[in-house]
Amino acid sequence: MVSNQRESKISAHHNYLVNDALTPGFALGNPGSKDGFYFLADVVLPGESTPRVSARLYDHEGEFLVELVWNRIKANPGHTRFQSLPNGFRLLYPSGEAILSVQTERFTNGYLSRIQGKLYDEKGGLRMEPSLESVTVYGKASLTLESPFEFSA
Amino acid sequence: MKKADHNKSYHGVWVFGDYRHYFQNRVTLQLIAKGRELAQTLETSITALVLGDHVNQYAMEYVAHGADKIMIVDHPALKDYRVETYTKVIAELIERYKPEIFLGGATAFGRELFPRIAKRVKTGLSADCVALEIDPETGNLVQTTPAWGGELLADVVTPLHRPQMATVHPGTFRELPHDASAVGRVIYPDITVEADGRVQLLRSKTQPKGKVNLEDAQIVISGGRGMGSKDQFDLLFELADLLDGEVGATRPAIRAEWTDEERLLGQTGKIVKPKLLITVGASGALQYTVGVQGAEVIVAINRDPHAPIFNMADLGLVGDGRAVVAQLIDELRKRV
Repeated sequence: MVSNQRESKISAHHNYLVNDALTPGFALGNPGSKDGFYFLADVVLPGESTPRVSARLYDHEGEFLVELVWNRIKANPGHTRFQSLPNGFRLLYPSGEAILSVQTERFTNGYLSRIQGKLYDEKGGLRMEPSLESVTVYGKASLTLESPFEFSA
Repeated sequence: MKKADHNKSYHGVWVFGDYRHYFQNRVTLQLIAKGRELAQTLETSITALVLGDHVNQYAMEYVAHGADKIMIVDHPALKDYRVETYTKVIAELIERYKPEIFLGGATAFGRELFPRIAKRVKTGLSADCVALEIDPETGNLVQTTPAWGGELLADVVTPLHRPQMATVHPGTFRELPHDASAVGRVIYPDITVEADGRVQLLRSKTQPKGKVNLEDAQIVISGGRGMGSKDQFDLLFELADLLDGEVGATRPAIRAEWTDEERLLGQTGKIVKPKLLITVGASGALQYTVGVQGAEVIVAINRDPHAPIFNMADLGLVGDGRAVVAQLIDELRKRV
């Protein structure tokens, strides 16, 4: 057998880069959790061009910072700032330091979104950190989503 | 079909992803379409092999055009094509993953790279194939390629060695339409890439694109030795203008310098699939007809009633091509 090869799914329309591999979508933690860390880079279907990011993020001491649902702030106890960019968005600490950025590159027939950020869970554990052009993730993860995530009511 | 024992460890159809000049160069997409058909017959998968630096866009395109899997080797040392580096990486991947079939375009690139890979992995190679099929009994790839200077078509098989390697002329097969909803698998092999230090690329310059667009022309007027002279050959340009078509040529017409090499049709030139081909003063040598046989309607004009070109023509006209073309031009001018 072939050792140390990496495998993933790839979409013809839109992919994210995570762990230096393409994937149509990925999730860390339990997306939709009401009291714990999660990060969801959701599948983008043909006809759509904007990546949909939902997340519940904490700082390095485990203090709840912000909850995003489909690129919109839902709860913001950490007084973070959402900054729209021409090809994506950034989420900033009050100090102006970036928590997370999502940038989408447009190809002739498709899209590639690059995520950068250093994210922590509710225990202050590191769950994502920058790695070259993508991110390296740690802990519970589903690295290949094949269809858009459905949040429970 | 029954595979020979020594071939049982080889599986899958691979296509080399030649994405240079994408989106004009469609040969990889055409090979993925044909490779998919072969893979379905063999009940296996079709993989596009993509080497380079920042090649994600092409990987996505190949999935959209029918590849089940993409194998990506993304490394700065692969940004510019170096035959030694590419050969080494691909040969190692072949030895590790053991594909049953490996296809590439019969472009200047493929013609340099594929023989080296075949030598390195100790297998055969059929160059400039015009058809590929699976033998239903043995499962071998039947590679049809012009032989004896193009005088005949030979069916070549590689029964004892794997992979079965072939290069195919651009335009031989039709690509599948782009499907944005397609999903495939992507594989990143664990492989060490070392640049070949003996060659250093100082600069590259893109050759200006020619004005000739034969591959996409709906009407092609093609001339051969029977046109007699450059002046007479120029009549074909007048006719093409009136019909909104393009002009192609046989090798003898190119050798006589009646027109440019970029208009050459056939085995070593372009392969066209127009709705209408009018071929004038061309006898119908095999190396020419493999380039035009995909035309929907072929009208052949030749002085020799026994010329082989009439065997493939939908409409044959025995006569002096120059006179017929001149008359056609006159008639069309009256109508314009």
